[in-house]
Amino acid sequence: MKNTKMISLLVPIISVILAFLIGCIIMAALSANPAVALQALWKGAFGSVRNIGTTLSRSTPLIFTGLCACFAYKCGVFNLGGEGQFIMGSVVCTVIATQCGFTGLPAIIICLIAGAVAGGLWAMIPGVLKVYRGQNEMIISIMMNYIATLFMGVLFTNWLRDGSVPQTIAVPDGTRLTRLFGLRATSAFIIAIAVGLIVYYFLFNTSKGFQLRAVGFNMTAAKFNGFAVEKYFLFSFLISGMIAGLGGSAEILGTQFFLINGYAAGYGFDGVSMALIGQLHPIATMLVAIFFAALRVGSTTMQAATGVPTSVSDIIQALVIVFTVAGLALVKLPEFKAFTDRVFAKKKEVA
Amino acid sequence: MSWDFISNLLLASVRMATPLIFLALAELYSQRAGLVHIGLEGLASIGSLVGFLVSLITGNPLLGVLAGAAAGILVNMIYAYATITLCAEQIVYGMAINIFAPALASFIYRVYFGAGSELVQVSLMETLASRMGITANGFIAKLFLDQTPMVYLAYLLVVFTVIYFNRTKSGLNYKAVGEYPKAAATLGIDVIGIKYTASVICGALAGIGGAYLTTCYTTTYVDGNIAGRGFIALAAVIFGRWNAGGVLIACLFFGFCDALQIRLQVGSYNIPYQFFQMIPYIATVVVLAAIGMKKAGPKSCGKPYRKEEL
Repeated sequence: MKNTKMISLLVPIISVILAFLIGCIIMAALSANPAVALQALWKGAFGSVRNIGTTLSRSTPLIFTGLCACFAYKCGVFNLGGEGQFIMGSVVCTVIATQCGFTGLPAIIICLIAGAVAGGLWAMIPGVLKVYRGQNEMIISIMMNYIATLFMGVLFTNWLRDGSVPQTIAVPDGTRLTRLFGLRATSAFIIAIAVGLIVYYFLFNTSKGFQLRAVGFNMTAAKFNGFAVEKYFLFSFLISGMIAGLGGSAEILGTQFFLINGYAAGYGFDGVSMALIGQLHPIATMLVAIFFAALRVGSTTMQAATGVPTSVSDIIQALVIVFTVAGLALVKLPEFKAFTDRVFAKKKEVA
Repeated sequence: MSWDFISNLLLASVRMATPLIFLALAELYSQRAGLVHIGLEGLASIGSLVGFLVSLITGNPLLGVLAGAAAGILVNMIYAYATITLCAEQIVYGMAINIFAPALASFIYRVYFGAGSELVQVSLMETLASRMGITANGFIAKLFLDQTPMVYLAYLLVVFTVIYFNRTKSGLNYKAVGEYPKAAATLGIDVIGIKYTASVICGALAGIGGAYLTTCYTTTYVDGNIAGRGFIALAAVIFGRWNAGGVLIACLFFGFCDALQIRLQVGSYNIPYQFFQMIPYIATVVVLAAIGMKKAGPKSCGKPYRKEEL
């Protein structure tokens, strides 16, 4: 048992190392010094308190979409629509914050809740279609992403456009979240961590959470044991959408303030890969989110220092997921188990 | 509505359906061997980038398409190895491909052209009519002659697929792998071999589908140019009930939605254009919701196959 736990921790770590190795080869091929590049990457992400603040701020939306994916998969449903739910949360939040004219803490709370509700409702569309129409929730949730992105486009090119600039008007100062110690990170980060801890507590310390995991672990068995599987599916879609929607509104009120072309692009799939690398553990997912954010923030410094394009960080990130998922499958193979058993048996003999 | 509008719409539908046909056939070949592949979007993106680059460098769009197919195969071999040999979960690994391949495509583009470069354009593939040196007039002539070779290839592939899966022994063996791999193995069918073959076919077709967009449809490559077609193709396979004829009809329908969207955008100024762009995506959701349940896909889809120990 202890063995499996160690392996499930080792696989992502080895994957990260492998991904960085390939990243270094790419950097060298682009005639940059990998050591200098990695140093710049580290400095950019964690080199000063200010940079750490930026990294945490960048990680905030990723934590939300990561938890969104994590929660749904724990129940065995593939919600690939984190991005759309995040965007719909942002959209509703932006509309309320800019149009209702109220400010202060109550306004912030209303905006956050409204965003969460919007995300939850958006997620219910694939959820309901899966449960009542037996449809593939992955395709539907992806389609909902495109629809949400286009709808956001209507806002920033038309309905809420800020004069001649293709972006929406910004949310008023009175609805913005406070910064932590004057850094880029805001209280949105605190909210993200809190949500993560609540998700963790719910999944692993409550009976409902246990049942939800049971459905995800073996749907047929759960069904035979009299679980209303459909209810759990709908519930997990709702909550996972709400997490993403809350993330969207927190991002708007915390750092982004207005909608613009390209906003939140890729956050949904990022969330999926973080949840998978974190092996559907909420705490691990959050750590992976911070790691991803560090890569992104650091890669800007790296580009300035060595000329390696920032998108090398996307490659490293993508390699981590490719390796981790393959690695996790590899260690489950009977051949691999036989191999490790042999190794451990030999060690014992020696001892 | 004038005849001009309708005939243009129909011609555009055929053009827009073509990449979907390639992608949906890719999915069909994969699923018929028991491999659900949700990573088509990623395969198409790398195919589209490589197709674009090669056609830019060589000046020959056909070579671009071939290179796109090769790139699709290469990337899909990662998927094949992980899901067939390592028995990784197909859905999860498809997702990994969806994250990896577009990142790779975008990175290659950045490295090749440098950051902030201006838009580079390639010349598109000639249509049959212009290659033969004639100008196609009238709807029928345009429909049958004024098309790129890729369009004819797509329809030939559909016909071939129908015959292959329904009329040939090899096709039946192939299908058996997707339905009951264990039974197929006892009959002496090389299950693993067929699964790998399926992945090669799937990668090639998905790569071609992506390359079509940069060699026959638009003159540039931009990140995200696949725009969900990989997933719409998945829907087309479900809608077409896993047979090539049905899949063709589904693709034509989705192609029509795409063409309609573009035509409506051009003609309207009061409604934000994004609402028209939503049409193909909304149509996909509505179609899936309308056809409802009834699982009809190959039975072993999604399940890993392990050789029995002797």
